[in-house]
Amino acid sequence: MVSNLINPDKRFLEILDRLRDKSIDDYYNPYRLFKWPEILPDDMWWMSPELTTTYGTSVAERLTEQQLHALSKFESINFYSLNVHGIRELLIEVTRRIHTKGFETPSEFFHHFIGEENEHMWFFAEFCLRYGKKIYRQPSGAGMEMPKPEVETLLVFVRILIFEELVDHFNSRMATDDRLHDTVRAINRIHHQDESRHIAFGRELVTVLFADVRRTSTEQELAGLADYLRRYLTYSFESLFNPHVYRDAGLADPLAVREELLVSPTRAEFERSVFRKTSKFLEKIGIIP
Amino acid sequence: MAVTGSIDEVRDWILRRHPERQTIDAEENLIQTRLVDSLTFVELVYVVESTTGVEIDFDNIDIQNFQTLATIEKAFFITA
Repeated sequence: MVSNLINPDKRFLEILDRLRDKSIDDYYNPYRLFKWPEILPDDMWWMSPELTTTYGTSVAERLTEQQLHALSKFESINFYSLNVHGIRELLIEVTRRIHTKGFETPSEFFHHFIGEENEHMWFFAEFCLRYGKKIYRQPSGAGMEMPKPEVETLLVFVRILIFEELVDHFNSRMATDDRLHDTVRAINRIHHQDESRHIAFGRELVTVLFADVRRTSTEQELAGLADYLRRYLTYSFESLFNPHVYRDAGLADPLAVREELLVSPTRAEFERSVFRKTSKFLEKIGIIP
Repeated sequence: MAVTGSIDEVRDWILRRHPERQTIDAEENLIQTRLVDSLTFVELVYVVESTTGVEIDFDNIDIQNFQTLATIEKAFFITA
């Protein structure tokens, strides 16, 4: 089905070839690429401060710089943990489809995608386990709803795209932030480099998948899809606000901290900046109004 | 293991998210009625954790324990 949508699209086929060639040309050995110091200093910014969930909020005003540094460490471990879980979920979905009927055309690119994502998951997990001694868990409750089969593939690849674009917002900034340690910058830089290809592919695929779904859906079904995606964007953004992070950083009543941050005046602008490009793309193709 | 809160706090949290509702029966299925769905499930778990003061093992969550307020209460609030 997906192959049938891609095959007549000469531009998409050329993009697939180009992304595959770029994956081959840029191939690297992640297991040898990074320097992993025994320890990273606690008293430093582990994330760009502007990207932490407390930036510009009343919560940050109550904390010392040392506490903010500690919080940035646990927030960074949460961020890389989200990467680990997000990658595992997308690997499951792409692996379920590779070399099955309907996915013949993108299967070669899927090999590069799966290989690269596996490597990303390794270096993010490595960072978490080395410097945070843990990977934050996520309750598994997602997937309780069964979407209509014809929109299931679309939903899978939109969710992957939203996840990749969210993460890339952080990666692209932290890759060049000279306040951060070299190791932190390096993993963000490499991930940003690979994700640029995956996002390019994801946008093309989501565009053709949605065009097909739009042809075969009612207005009501499309409105339901748009509503779900808006909620999914919010859900993804709010996953950055993990009460276990606030607990580990020594803040009292971590769930109340999370709730205070989620209603903070700075939240709306933070969310807009994270999803600025993503929302623009989703609106452009018409999947959200 | 001592828990600190009550199931009423969980009920109140769900009601705050659903202003169209005045009450939730203890046996009402939260997932089938969409009072809780895949996008709000994680928050429900955080609320149960925060209310009970007991950390939940996220890797071994039994979804059956989250079907109704009664099953949540039995699994997380009533201690032997």
